[in-house]
Amino acid sequence: MEELIQTLKEQIIDALNLEEITPEDIDNDAPLFGDGLGLDSIDALELIVILDRFYGIKLANPAEGKEIFKNINTIADYISKNRTK
Amino acid sequence: MIRLLSSNIISPLAYNTGDNYRAVKSGKSAIAQYCNWNGIPDTFAGSMFTPQQLDELKIDGYTRFEYVAIRSIEEALSGTEIDVTSSRTVLILSTTKGDVEELSSNLSSDGAYLSPGAAAKKIAAYFGMKSEPVVCCNACISGVSAQVLADRLISCGYYDNAIVCGTDCSSPFVISGFLCFKSLSAEACRPFDIERLGLNLGEAAATMVFTRDDGKSKAWRLVCGSLDNDAHHVSAPSPNGAGALKVIERTMEGHDIESLAFVNVHGTATMFNDQMESKAIQAAGLSDVPLTALKGWYGHTLGASGVLETILSMASVEDGCILPVRGFSNIGVSGKVNIGTSLRKTDKNAFLKIISGFGGCNGAVLYTREPCEEKSVQLNEPEVLHKVILTSDSLSIDGETIPVAAKGKELLTEIYKTHIGDYPKFYKMDMFSRLVFLASELLILREDKSDGAMEHSVVLFNRTSSIVTDRKHIATIEDPKGFFPSPSVFLYTLPNIVTGEIAIKHGYTGETSLYILEDKNIEIMAAIVKSSFAMSESRLMITGWADCSAEDTFEAELCLLRK
Repeated sequence: MEELIQTLKEQIIDALNLEEITPEDIDNDAPLFGDGLGLDSIDALELIVILDRFYGIKLANPAEGKEIFKNINTIADYISKNRTK
Repeated sequence: MIRLLSSNIISPLAYNTGDNYRAVKSGKSAIAQYCNWNGIPDTFAGSMFTPQQLDELKIDGYTRFEYVAIRSIEEALSGTEIDVTSSRTVLILSTTKGDVEELSSNLSSDGAYLSPGAAAKKIAAYFGMKSEPVVCCNACISGVSAQVLADRLISCGYYDNAIVCGTDCSSPFVISGFLCFKSLSAEACRPFDIERLGLNLGEAAATMVFTRDDGKSKAWRLVCGSLDNDAHHVSAPSPNGAGALKVIERTMEGHDIESLAFVNVHGTATMFNDQMESKAIQAAGLSDVPLTALKGWYGHTLGASGVLETILSMASVEDGCILPVRGFSNIGVSGKVNIGTSLRKTDKNAFLKIISGFGGCNGAVLYTREPCEEKSVQLNEPEVLHKVILTSDSLSIDGETIPVAAKGKELLTEIYKTHIGDYPKFYKMDMFSRLVFLASELLILREDKSDGAMEHSVVLFNRTSSIVTDRKHIATIEDPKGFFPSPSVFLYTLPNIVTGEIAIKHGYTGETSLYILEDKNIEIMAAIVKSSFAMSESRLMITGWADCSAEDTFEAELCLLRK
């Protein structure tokens, strides 16, 4: 799980161009949207691409992302249960 | 004021305005479902030309985008006697992506790709036109922007006639982009319906030929047009429809709502757009005016939609009919709107067309067949308050050279860190947007804000559109095994997005426009800027030339102007 979380953070920083942020800056439990990292709807779509591209998970309905993308832990948990690659 | 001389629509349904209208009236649509289309792994619905139709329309030596536009202009011109070879006739091309399907991720393997300005020149040359064409590239509102521009340029005396042609073609480029935005429906779209699942893309060319008018004859004339920005988000409209409401109010000012046969809305069938439009319509007091939306027949034809839907609205008013909303059955928006599911009759002679797009832009145009009074227009020389020149290796502000250390991409990061900072969104922008954003920020830093809030507009001119990001997007869809289009890359393949970035950061709610010219033609740029000041409410404008032809090759020369 530790390794997955580290990789996931790096993938998010890269895909979302979070230039001045390092994996250590992202708290596993902190909200990603709203306050926290301040991600927006386009970032949510980009997270859907990450799930598909690196973990073989297809989210057809962006609304499903709301629960999954709460924080790093919830994403990592969802990936570990649903990944196909 | 301008009046319509002639029009044409070339769509998968028919090749002229009358046949298109009759097809729609009889309930026909070309929207079909596509599976595994040109390497696109998802299923989607759209309205596309058949290979047989393309064979009929084809002209050797021209790309699909170019020949579809040429066919439409040719047919529209055949009904008029204007002198297209006169320097007083201008071509205004409205497109979001032009020839993009000919572009490759790799510089050396481009097909017949021409930048939108060069394609416009080639199309103008086909007709022997001598004036420089202008391309309106304002995402989904381009077709209405182009009509507003035609009105401004003719009303301010720069031209006598304008050919406004909106054209976009469906390509894996555009379809993959909307797919990763999760905004495409796999079935025929259902505008304003509770079960709407997104939009369909469509391809079409639509042309309107305009001439100067004194408002006296019985003809279709553009009474008023308005453009603005809602300063909310680059890919989602303000939920209360503030931007759409303002353009409706400005366009309808002094005009009787009772005169409207209907309001033709954008009605893309996405959750956000239709909901936002319903709120704006209710707030504008238009709840009882019949609403029409045409995407159920043609899909979203992007740069063509504003033109196509205006022409079809005219045809239905001429026929005394209000078209139903195809795909609609149960209301799925919270604002009160008047939607019909079958054909209704009208004896009115005017309609309002509204439209909204990525980058936060909104537009509205009011047309009538009744005589109306021509407003006088006052042209003024704007005052240059500040000027920034930013190139790949230099920066100057108000004539003073500012020492810089880095070059290319790093130079932009250096300027951001030294002069701006604390705006992490900067790093999410593509190179063209970073360039324009920084040059604008440097102007805004120097602006004397003691006069209080005044309406700002952002009007940009450019040559290569968003070519750097276009290639990047193509690289994400070229390999079928690595088909992972990115929404944040695709977003910036609309070069007007940066105008929205500036509007959002500073709460600017004036017009935000991007025009593409093949050459940095100062005369046309000045005409567009002066006519915008003369015929809009904006008092201050960030404007100028900005181009980014490669990751490390860019130049911006922007000014802050006051009316």
